[in-house]
Amino acid sequence: MRRVLELAGPIALVAATAAIASGISSAHQLEFETALVMVAIVVALYVFVGNSGVISFGHASFVAAGAYLAGLVTLDPETKNFTTPGLFHVLLHAQIGLVPSLALAAAVGAAYAIVVGLPLMRLSGLPAGIATFAVLGITYDVLSYWGKIGPGVQTLSGVPEASSWSIAAGVVIVIVAAYAYQRSRFGRMLRATREDPAAARASGISIYRQRLLAFALSGALAGLAGGLYVHQLGIITPELFYLDLTFVTLAMLVFGGMGSLWGAVVGALAISALNSFLGDAENTVDVGFHLTLPNGTRLVTVGAVMALVLILKPSGLTGGREFGRWRR
Amino acid sequence: MLAAVNWGQAIADAIALGALYGLVAVGIGLVFGVLRLVNFAYGELITAGAYVLAYTYGWPRPISILLCVGAVVALALAQELVAFRPLRRGGATPATMLVATFAVSFLLQAIYLLAFGSRGQIVGTLGRLNSAFTVDGVDIRWILLVTVVTGLVLLGATAAVLERTSVGLHIRAAATDFRTSRLLGVRANRVIMLSFVISGVLAAAVSVLYTVSNPLVQPTMGVPITIFALVGVVVGGMDRLWSAALGGFAVGLVYGLFSDVMSSTSSVYLPAVVYGLVIVVLLLRPAGLFGAWRSAQVERV
Amino acid sequence: MSEPEAALELEGLEVAYRGVPAVRGIDLTVGRGEIVGLVGPNGAGKSSTLHAIMGAAPSPRGDVRLYGRSLRGLSPERVARLGVALVPEGRHIYSSLTVEENLRLGYAARRSHDGLDEDVAWVHALFPVVHEFESRKAGALSGGQQQQLAIARALVAKPDVLLLDEPSLGLAPTIVERLFETLGEIRDRGVSILLVEQRAQLTIAFADRTHVIANGALKLTLGPQDAGDTARLTAAYLS
Repeated sequence: MRRVLELAGPIALVAATAAIASGISSAHQLEFETALVMVAIVVALYVFVGNSGVISFGHASFVAAGAYLAGLVTLDPETKNFTTPGLFHVLLHAQIGLVPSLALAAAVGAAYAIVVGLPLMRLSGLPAGIATFAVLGITYDVLSYWGKIGPGVQTLSGVPEASSWSIAAGVVIVIVAAYAYQRSRFGRMLRATREDPAAARASGISIYRQRLLAFALSGALAGLAGGLYVHQLGIITPELFYLDLTFVTLAMLVFGGMGSLWGAVVGALAISALNSFLGDAENTVDVGFHLTLPNGTRLVTVGAVMALVLILKPSGLTGGREFGRWRR
Repeated sequence: MLAAVNWGQAIADAIALGALYGLVAVGIGLVFGVLRLVNFAYGELITAGAYVLAYTYGWPRPISILLCVGAVVALALAQELVAFRPLRRGGATPATMLVATFAVSFLLQAIYLLAFGSRGQIVGTLGRLNSAFTVDGVDIRWILLVTVVTGLVLLGATAAVLERTSVGLHIRAAATDFRTSRLLGVRANRVIMLSFVISGVLAAAVSVLYTVSNPLVQPTMGVPITIFALVGVVVGGMDRLWSAALGGFAVGLVYGLFSDVMSSTSSVYLPAVVYGLVIVVLLLRPAGLFGAWRSAQVERV
Repeated sequence: MSEPEAALELEGLEVAYRGVPAVRGIDLTVGRGEIVGLVGPNGAGKSSTLHAIMGAAPSPRGDVRLYGRSLRGLSPERVARLGVALVPEGRHIYSSLTVEENLRLGYAARRSHDGLDEDVAWVHALFPVVHEFESRKAGALSGGQQQQLAIARALVAKPDVLLLDEPSLGLAPTIVERLFETLGEIRDRGVSILLVEQRAQLTIAFADRTHVIANGALKLTLGPQDAGDTARLTAAYLS
């Protein structure tokens, strides 16, 4: 029963969000869909960070890789010929459907994570954090200037958009994969290395291998999430995948509680909701009375709320527990 | 046009940048040493100082600079008292602490945006130092000399406080073994506050010096400074202050040199090159270029 | 009123780490100028007791009093400044600092610098190596010398009560003997001592009273006359 709840809780939340998204005005639809994509990204991040206890600042890179590839291969070749003629030949001429593009996004995310992880998973602690940050910096720099793999600093629009329900389906796949991993032998071994590295090593667990495996899966899910993101927004531009995304997704994870899948989902949805509400309030919102906040309040409030929750409850909103496990 | 590279000029400019990043690295490294806390919100101290300078432009310079130092030190202490200390009390994990400093950085940037707008303010406090004199065909701006001298003086002063005073001894002890130092009667909070004060003074100095060459103050101005200095701290080795300072200096120097020497088409990839070097250094020497050969020492976070 | 005035009293002291009890209600008194031993097997709760006295254990229960003054809820630095000095297990000297700097760290807990010179002279006389090697890095000292430095560092704080956590650990028997002699001299200066040790027989023979701790509770109290009574000791260890 508990196991069912652990998975059903997050999925029910995602389904509810999608149901609202598909039934409301288009302006708000966008916000609900973005919230869904954030869930996918944060859950992908959780697979590595939550289970290993090692912070990664590099995951926006894998999201970017998935988004760029999924976006470019679904764009109409004629449009690409006109807007970004400098692309690699295969990217310029390819045009495939939504589902295969998402599969490619997951594959490229995994491949990138493996390339990065092979050397970097030997590091831990702060050097690991800085090294993943360097990966983010390199990705952003290259995406901003290399015309063969994208629009450079420009924004490329016209990527086919997916419905709220297909985005939700993608998010559910990410959640199920994350759950299956954490229940698996590998997930348990990685969490053992988080709790007590020395004991884990002594019982024959290779920290390097377990971290690399989680990093690769996490990269694949992040790539898939990136594919969902690009099909939700319809545009490609490097600015989307840099410091803001990195910070916001990490904050969502810690805010919800980085020790559990439920925490990742709750954190992503809670911060998204707060962000949307305050964004509306800056343009007047009816909450029994008319509330109008000055421009810029949104960022200050979101920042303050995140800082406050971290200070008052460092283990996050959920305290790192799964859905249905309220008592110790 | 790619004239022959003027190496003398390139080196002179790069040294100035290196000195600045060296100062920032010491400010970050000092707090890291005592608290094992990487303060991502350090750059926002520098930004705050720059805003003070911008809004007091036209006032007598010494007053403007004193206000800048006062405000930055106050903000540094506020970060500790309002955010970091309650977090430590609550038993936050290092990962949570790291994200919390991110949140503080984000919050301060949002406050700057709300209070001062996104268009930016101009600082002209020491603008005259941009004038140059020529030695052997190399233009040396006065700010270069001022930056290097100030950097050395402040590093010397920091070192003197740490090496020669009893509270400096307490800081060093706390940085090595916080728990034992408290058992010996070292007042932890005083030591921590003092390191935030020193790091605040260093940040204020950077505000004054940095805005001479980069007079435009914007809410996110501090972010790249923090990132590069932090890279310097980690690359140099964070177990000692001088290795952090050297690391910061090295990153500034390399960045300054490459940006002068590389052609404009390839210089857009300069950040990628620097980050790539960082990864190589970390893989070969996780304890830093100038750190001791002990990789286990820094396994925190 | 015939009993000596109590320098340090523990009353119902309990310590738990993450819900796992390490110390389960200890009552113990160290009189002024007394040397009290505390022996027991590994993990019996000896170090936890000392850390709880210093205010360095997470939320202990019960009370700790220094000359009648409760130390409950005080921070380690406050306890140290009130006159309790700990020589921690494994010495915890600062190997990257010089011997002299390590000694100066001990001043941190002094209430005043009056009489500092005499105290330092006394400590130098007790432990000549601390004077002789003062400009060396402490990491270059031998194990026994580091132990002397750690005790010297605690003594220059001018404590009323000295807590020692397994000072004999890793030292050769002859050095341990001299160490215990020195503890006697320290006691003669009016310092009360709580000595935590693994070497039970030696401690029992040396201390005024020795408590045997096992599984977080005191099982037995022995005097020097009981030093040969291995049967009772073994029984207490195994209980």
